[in-house]
Amino acid sequence: MFKYVLKRFVYFIPTLAIIALVTFALSKMAPGDPVKLALGNKDNGGEAGQTSEKIAGEKAYHEMAEKMGLHLPAFYFDLTTVATPDTLYKYTKKPERENLSRLIAKYGNWDKIEAYYANIKAVQFEMYKVQQDSTTFEGSRTLNSEINRLFTLSKDDEIEASLKTLQTATTLSPNFNSVAAKIASLQQSYSTVKTETANTKNFIPAIHFYGLNNQFHRWLFGDKPYFFGEEQPGQTAGFLRGDFGFSYLDKRPVWSKMKDALPWTLLLNLISIVLAYVVAIPLGVWSARKKGSFADNIVTFLLFLLNSLPVFWIATLMITFLTTDEYGMNFFPTFGLGEVDPSMSNMEVFTERAVHLILPIICLTYGSWAYLSRQMRGGVLSVLRQDYIRTAKAKGLAEGKIIWKHAFRNSLIPIITIFASIFPSAIAGAFIIENIFAIPGMGKLSFEGLVARDYPMVFTVMLLSAVLTLIGNLVADILYAVVDPRISFNK
Amino acid sequence: MSAQNIKQISETLDQSYSAIVKRQFRKNKMAVWSLRFIFVIVFIGLFADFLSNDKPIACSYKGNTYFPIAKSYGVSLGIAKWPKDIANVDWHSLNYDWALLPLIPYSPQYQDLKNDNFKGPFDEQDVPSFRFKHFLGTDKLGRDVMSGMIQGTRVAMMVGVISMSIAVVIGILLGSLAGYYGDTKLKMSRIRIYMNLLFFALGVFYAFMVRSYVLSDALSTSVGSFFIQLLISLFVFFVFMIIANVLVMPLKKIPFLGTQVSIPMDILISRLIEVMVSVPTLLLLLSISAIMSKPSIFVTMIVIGFLGWTGIAKYVRAELLKVRSLEFIEAAQALGLSEARVIFKHAIPNSLTSVLITIAFGVAGAILTESSLSFLGIGVAPEEVTWGSLLSASRSDVSAWWLAIFPGFAIFITVTIFNLIGEGLADAMDPRLKQ
Repeated sequence: MFKYVLKRFVYFIPTLAIIALVTFALSKMAPGDPVKLALGNKDNGGEAGQTSEKIAGEKAYHEMAEKMGLHLPAFYFDLTTVATPDTLYKYTKKPERENLSRLIAKYGNWDKIEAYYANIKAVQFEMYKVQQDSTTFEGSRTLNSEINRLFTLSKDDEIEASLKTLQTATTLSPNFNSVAAKIASLQQSYSTVKTETANTKNFIPAIHFYGLNNQFHRWLFGDKPYFFGEEQPGQTAGFLRGDFGFSYLDKRPVWSKMKDALPWTLLLNLISIVLAYVVAIPLGVWSARKKGSFADNIVTFLLFLLNSLPVFWIATLMITFLTTDEYGMNFFPTFGLGEVDPSMSNMEVFTERAVHLILPIICLTYGSWAYLSRQMRGGVLSVLRQDYIRTAKAKGLAEGKIIWKHAFRNSLIPIITIFASIFPSAIAGAFIIENIFAIPGMGKLSFEGLVARDYPMVFTVMLLSAVLTLIGNLVADILYAVVDPRISFNK
Repeated sequence: MSAQNIKQISETLDQSYSAIVKRQFRKNKMAVWSLRFIFVIVFIGLFADFLSNDKPIACSYKGNTYFPIAKSYGVSLGIAKWPKDIANVDWHSLNYDWALLPLIPYSPQYQDLKNDNFKGPFDEQDVPSFRFKHFLGTDKLGRDVMSGMIQGTRVAMMVGVISMSIAVVIGILLGSLAGYYGDTKLKMSRIRIYMNLLFFALGVFYAFMVRSYVLSDALSTSVGSFFIQLLISLFVFFVFMIIANVLVMPLKKIPFLGTQVSIPMDILISRLIEVMVSVPTLLLLLSISAIMSKPSIFVTMIVIGFLGWTGIAKYVRAELLKVRSLEFIEAAQALGLSEARVIFKHAIPNSLTSVLITIAFGVAGAILTESSLSFLGIGVAPEEVTWGSLLSASRSDVSAWWLAIFPGFAIFITVTIFNLIGEGLADAMDPRLKQ
């Protein structure tokens, strides 16, 4: 037994690792520049604005990138081509980095591409130094926006066109002379990129190792010292130690937002699971005892229909028909949890909450209730077919005693383990219900995160619920082994 | 004795497993009717464009005869062009000589501006004749709900077909590998394992990593060019795998490398299934749709398929574990048939009947998942009409009861009939019922 549990635990860890990897990979594939999203999508170093503002924006960007750990390599190692340098990650800006890797895939000559990029930067820097007067206004705008565009261009015709625009814009004012010189060398370096290609390098695989100091490691384990040692500013504790990062939306830690939301989800799910079990078990036993009777047929059929009723439809119907005056059946409030102020007595708070929670709980409960009843019925029926029940009948035991004393306990085995599988589906169910009824739980939180591209929120909820599902499966397997010693892990 | 009787008797005499299952299934009236209903759904799905469309099926305009709906297929495939007379026209305002209109003369996207802002089925509608009545009402923009329901049927059908075919292919493949070979039966020489792993990595590198920008550029231009590029990539990949296995042949002669070792297929695949099961489908779908820059219902279908194979794999695995020790497999092996032939011609067909159960429930689940997602407005483009998106339109106006009832009812009925079929199959296959 102990060996089985231990073995089960050992398998738990790689599974967890795979799920963490998938979540991390998804979060890396998310569109948009994470730093910009975290900064509230403010355009930094844009076309207009003062030079000092631009430099401040640039600085804020890099500070944020460092805070989020984006200045580190993404993973322990990197599978690329020989053409790609192992220092590419140092370009913290995601669009720039992606564009660089596109250029590398096209020409393969990193040293030339690096020089070309340095030249774009030089032009940009030169622009800061330009004396602004009435003649430079129009030209500055074109130049600045075109340079910014150049950082994300990889198609040859687009780059050529952009370089040409830059060149013509410099003729607008004599103040641009120094810039024009830089642009000339930029053009020079671009034509070297195009002529001195090294495409064969793109066909030789290479592995770069980065060690523990990478984004994944920092995200999962954190870089804070574990027990002793000085904590540096900007270090995180990592996912496994409960630091989930901060929300892009309001800069609050994800954990503190979840702390507010979690109780509601737990409350909803607990009530609905308890209700489902309390109703389903006796109902299942009852209908198994009456197997084949008219009442059993009706109940079985109704449970079957209930099982395939889409929960969001029922919720919509309830909101449409039961919460408004439109059809004269305004019995329940439509959305939310109601207003509670400190002057209300406990009883009043309870009724206010209860009235708001009735419909969501019905919606959450009926599905698992129907499912459980059907399982319970099946469980009892299969036990009743066993030989020892026939023996009990043959020796003249009362039917009630046979059912409750001999059959019931054995038929509970599958029901107990279903608990584990109900858990993840409850999380999913709560996701839909909370959004329809506007209950500020985890489901609503992650949906809002999704709509607002608040990735830390979304991926934290995803990883956490995967972990909960894993734990649920683990508990189910162990429970199974406890109640039924015949089960062994291998076969 | 009539011919029918003879047929009946010969059927009853047929004692093969699938014949028994078929007979048992036919006894279940509900399941049989559900099966018939599926044909209706498939019919509506296939001919959705001909059932509801603002274009006529056939018409004569300015003396020329057109088949606009059939033509629109050609236009969207890029092999035909609209004739000048009927290019960019409002089909409802044309002066036809004669026209054969579809059953519902509206397409799901057509906005009937005279009847916008939620006109119910029983409300007064501003339509030219009964033929143009909105039988299930309209939504806020004046789009016909009935037409949306028909289009939604097509989407639901595609969800079932696409996601389940992906799931079935992966599930049967992995499940049969795990079940048939177990942990000890698949033996390979060491060199074959090493070479396959090495060339697999190389194949992925050259077929997909080196070509990753080619592929992503093709995807952003058109689906067709993406498929061509994908085929090229797959070709490169398979060439690598073939090279690996050709190279193995001479190297096998070296004693250490030639040693046969067994591969624990069952453990590997069972662990994989366990990982897949612990991923919460809905949340993973949400995360994936979060990273999609352009949402599309097809992505949702494909993801559902890639997540939904575990049930089928488990079933096939369990069935093959049973089947592989049966006499007829042993006989096939004794006859010296190849492994592939034994698996695909003898072992798998015998487990397929029970896979049907999982498929039936799987379709129901896939339709439910897709409609809940499109109900929440996730992973569905604004112009795509599904039952879920129709239902969610009712949330903006509670007085539009028809939007709350009909699309939801369609989902419910479809899910129920697939569940009924699954249930019927499960009952029919229960060995206790066998005479």
